[in-house]
Amino acid sequence: MMNGNRFWTVFVREVRSAVRTRTYLVLGLVTGIVLFGLAYAGGGPAGGYVPTVVDTLVAVEVLVPTLAFAVGYRAIADPAVRGELDILDTYPLSTWSYVGGVYAGRALLLLTIVVVPLLALGVNVATTAGPETTVFASHRGVDSPFLFIRFVALTVLYALTSLTIAFLLSALARSRGRALVLALAGLLVLTVGSDLAVFAALDTGVTTGTLGGALAMTPAGAYRGLVFDQVLYVAVPGRSAFVPTWVAALSLLFWWGLTFVGAMLATDAA
Amino acid sequence: MTGETYLTADEVTKKYGDVTAVSEVSLDVPSDAVTGFIGPNGSGKSTLLRVLLGVERPTSGTVSYSGPEAERQLGYLPQRPTFRPGFSVRETAAFYADLVDDDPDRLLERVGLEEVAGRPVSGLSGGMTRLLGIAQALAGDPPIVMLDEPASGLDPAMSRLIFDIIESIADAGRAVVLCSHELPLVEATADRLVVLESGRLVRTGSVESLREQTGGPLHETFTALLDQDRAAIAAPGGEQS
Repeated sequence: MMNGNRFWTVFVREVRSAVRTRTYLVLGLVTGIVLFGLAYAGGGPAGGYVPTVVDTLVAVEVLVPTLAFAVGYRAIADPAVRGELDILDTYPLSTWSYVGGVYAGRALLLLTIVVVPLLALGVNVATTAGPETTVFASHRGVDSPFLFIRFVALTVLYALTSLTIAFLLSALARSRGRALVLALAGLLVLTVGSDLAVFAALDTGVTTGTLGGALAMTPAGAYRGLVFDQVLYVAVPGRSAFVPTWVAALSLLFWWGLTFVGAMLATDAA
Repeated sequence: MTGETYLTADEVTKKYGDVTAVSEVSLDVPSDAVTGFIGPNGSGKSTLLRVLLGVERPTSGTVSYSGPEAERQLGYLPQRPTFRPGFSVRETAAFYADLVDDDPDRLLERVGLEEVAGRPVSGLSGGMTRLLGIAQALAGDPPIVMLDEPASGLDPAMSRLIFDIIESIADAGRAVVLCSHELPLVEATADRLVVLESGRLVRTGSVESLREQTGGPLHETFTALLDQDRAAIAAPGGEQS
């Protein structure tokens, strides 16, 4: 049997499990309510796509890793505690196929929870905002559905990176209690701690000139920087990104790759 | 019984920090036979089983497989098998069967669970969960099947059923290794015994040859062997004869 088929077997089980867990449906509904609530409280949908992104960005920056950790914090810890990993050790199932299959299944779940409400919000903007937002602009200075699609795409990248971080911590936990503690600590570091660490580093070598680069090195800073550069400032002539775009993009990919490999190694050792 | 060796442990030691769970154990696992690990709690039975399985790396020594070529060499039933909630018995069997291109219905029939195939795994009794664990251990027809306390905490009828299934697994040509405290059932089922205490191998041999040492049933033999072992350790020099 090919490794790809075993990956598929694991993936299908994760998806089935997700479909049968009503908690995830509730999470999706809550996410939708929060996003629509914030957008309408700020009046974004009536103003267009960019105002909607402005209204929701801060919440999305915290909400996405929170959802990723909710979906992933027990992904590896639970089967380890159940003894399932020991059983699977006796099968011709590679760590890549197992962790990859579980990750792909949970990533699909996470993206459904995050992307469906965002797309619904985008559709809502298209039906409620002024006629200028229907322009599919390719130039700066104009609000456009493209900008919202970019926002969704960057949010997908941020969600996937947050999920691999949750997986790594789950694989390191080895008990359900520790998995929860590590998830909470990881979430705090990801959403607040990393930015604080960069600003604290202003006293120890990071200058205002290199601050943008330093912020881009953290997942949240990289995501925020990319949204500003690729979405918000596109519609505002004369403004440029506060983080180097390529550094931010590579940073997110780096964190994704590093934590995914780390999760596989930790699962192997569990 | 062909007597072919499927697995060999050579001077295997497993330490957790300062604690030695298994100390320099060497043994062979033959085909077509049930090998029973017996010993008091904490004697290293489960640890030795996990080292033989490869889920624990030995601190020193080697374990080598010499059985027939197989996609899955070892099947394993853990002490307390638990399965992912939210799935039926058949879906659970199908998950494991799919990993090795096996037929889940065949596996369930093998352990007599075909009648409850649609039941959620969370609705199974302890004995049925153990049977599902054995079905999983048989997926892919592994030449060696290892079972950790397969009947602990079960009623006598279910324990008997599980040991009957274990016997039939060995009759089908596999090597079966089990650790258990159910001495009467082990005595009736095992072809060969490995007696462990404090991580050391005290004796190994057929049930008959060990029984000859005391002339009584296995539990008396077992107690006598452990007493001999403890006396040997306590004696000046501390070495076993």
